[in-house]
Amino acid sequence: MAYDDLRSFLDALEREGQLLRVTDEVMPEPDLAAAANAAPRLGDTAPALYFDNVTGFTDARVAMNVHGSWANHALALGLPKDTPVKRQVEEFIRRWNDFPVAPEWREDPPWAENTMDGDEVDIFRVLPLFRLNDGDGGFYIDKAAVVSKDPEDPEHSGKQNVGIYRIEVKGGRKLALQPVPMHDIAQHLHKAERAGEDLPVAITLGNDPVISIVASTPMKYDENEYELAGALRGAPAPVAPAPLTGLPVPWGAEVVIEGVIEGRKREIEGPFGEFTGHYSGGRSMPVIRVDKISYRTRPVFEHLYLGMPWTEVDYLIAANTCVPLYRQLTEEFPEVRAVNAMYTHGLVVIVSTAKRYGGFAKAVGLRVLTTPHGLGYATTVIVVDEDVDPFDLPQVMWALSTKMNPSGDLIRIPNLSVLELAPQAQHPGITDKLVIDATTPVAPDHRGNYGNQVRDLPEAAAWLDRLRRLAAHR
Amino acid sequence: MSEKTPGNTSEKTVCPRCAHPAIARLFTSPVPGVWDVLQCEQCLYCWRTSEPARRTSRAAYPDGFKLTAEDIRDAPEVPAVPPLRDAR
Ligand SMILES: [Zn+2]
Repeated sequence: MAYDDLRSFLDALEREGQLLRVTDEVMPEPDLAAAANAAPRLGDTAPALYFDNVTGFTDARVAMNVHGSWANHALALGLPKDTPVKRQVEEFIRRWNDFPVAPEWREDPPWAENTMDGDEVDIFRVLPLFRLNDGDGGFYIDKAAVVSKDPEDPEHSGKQNVGIYRIEVKGGRKLALQPVPMHDIAQHLHKAERAGEDLPVAITLGNDPVISIVASTPMKYDENEYELAGALRGAPAPVAPAPLTGLPVPWGAEVVIEGVIEGRKREIEGPFGEFTGHYSGGRSMPVIRVDKISYRTRPVFEHLYLGMPWTEVDYLIAANTCVPLYRQLTEEFPEVRAVNAMYTHGLVVIVSTAKRYGGFAKAVGLRVLTTPHGLGYATTVIVVDEDVDPFDLPQVMWALSTKMNPSGDLIRIPNLSVLELAPQAQHPGITDKLVIDATTPVAPDHRGNYGNQVRDLPEAAAWLDRLRRLAAHR
Repeated sequence: MSEKTPGNTSEKTVCPRCAHPAIARLFTSPVPGVWDVLQCEQCLYCWRTSEPARRTSRAAYPDGFKLTAEDIRDAPEVPAVPPLRDAR
């Protein structure tokens, strides 16, 4: 089933036992972030958190860790909450085959209930803002969908973008935004700034759970996120025009913030504890002037804690990073079986593939580096055989233990591109990259002494079912 | 404003991060008198007066997060501002 807004998803999480209401009074700092920091440590069935009794606020409602477990991710996609990870990725791939599904324009969005305009705009009066990590430069918004258009081709709906970027609150109507050069909004801003113009944006918070997933999916520049949302939901994504900019925004959002990225302006921003588990340094970044806020009555502030993995962000950008890489690799290499790019947004990528001939696995690994996402992320690629499950790390370690000989299986390529946040780069944005071939050599590559591999007994699969049934009725 | 800042009654409030003396008030708690949100006018660091000392007091602020005026002036531009497209 498809959720049209955050509130209906929170209700569903509660029915499934996946929402924890914290009713005790808590401090805005450090309690809210510390609780969300801790929640994923409860494991793959960790719940979302909901707070409505925060010191000093009269009307705060805060939802965190909404996508922060495999159980919650499954429910966001309308799957049973115990769906295994590999199965969730396979279902994601299957539904992407229905892309594109055009969005549905819907009247009377709930966020039209209240507005603030111009000088009366004060984001602090709408959202119970708070700090996440000790060294953060301020209060951030980091789970909002930012909508913008290609200023040189504004009618092209594919080149329109919906993305999640880090946003620092710098004043009642002033925000900062980070457009990493590999991301679509950076291309929009680049075009606007070349022309000496501002870039209009609409920032929508508290979205239905699939909007957050598609907004953090590394789609191609001319692919429309709402059309992927429709495919994943199995129903068109409901959208409505934002009142000031006309940009298409999710109908079900809690809050819609509109304004412009002021062209050719930069100002100190950060640091911010990032998805890499490290702080980015303070940098000079673009500034947003807010001109209008529209919001539901008693809006829910959905926020995301991120830090040393795994945290909510790692669940949010796990399946949706694996799938585009799988699709792009199999276009040329149908031998590819599965792609696991869920470690730190694909800074490490594990691919399982059949071999066409000796040396083939290395070509698959090199192709990962030149996919659009690989250009900015993949720094280490591990290639394993077709019978190794890349989502099963003990199996991957077995492949590394027995198939990989550093004399011929490590390919190091100097000075490739990587996003500037990658901490291991000698200079920000440039790093060496590594492909590890942990596949069994095949002719004409005659290395090692493999003989015959031990395989699962043919009867083992039936016994697994039988043992599960017996265990369930203990 | 320093007399309203918990745990900081004797010294004048400066930015915990860059020690700049000019501090602005961005917001006050909806429940009166509980906390304020302050902001440094030099480095734009923003904090709530009810946060732990490690985030609000210059003396307790970790050295690793401190910024100088030079750090702010020399911060790299991300992304770089492109040249203007020439109007032919
Ligand atoms: Zn300062």
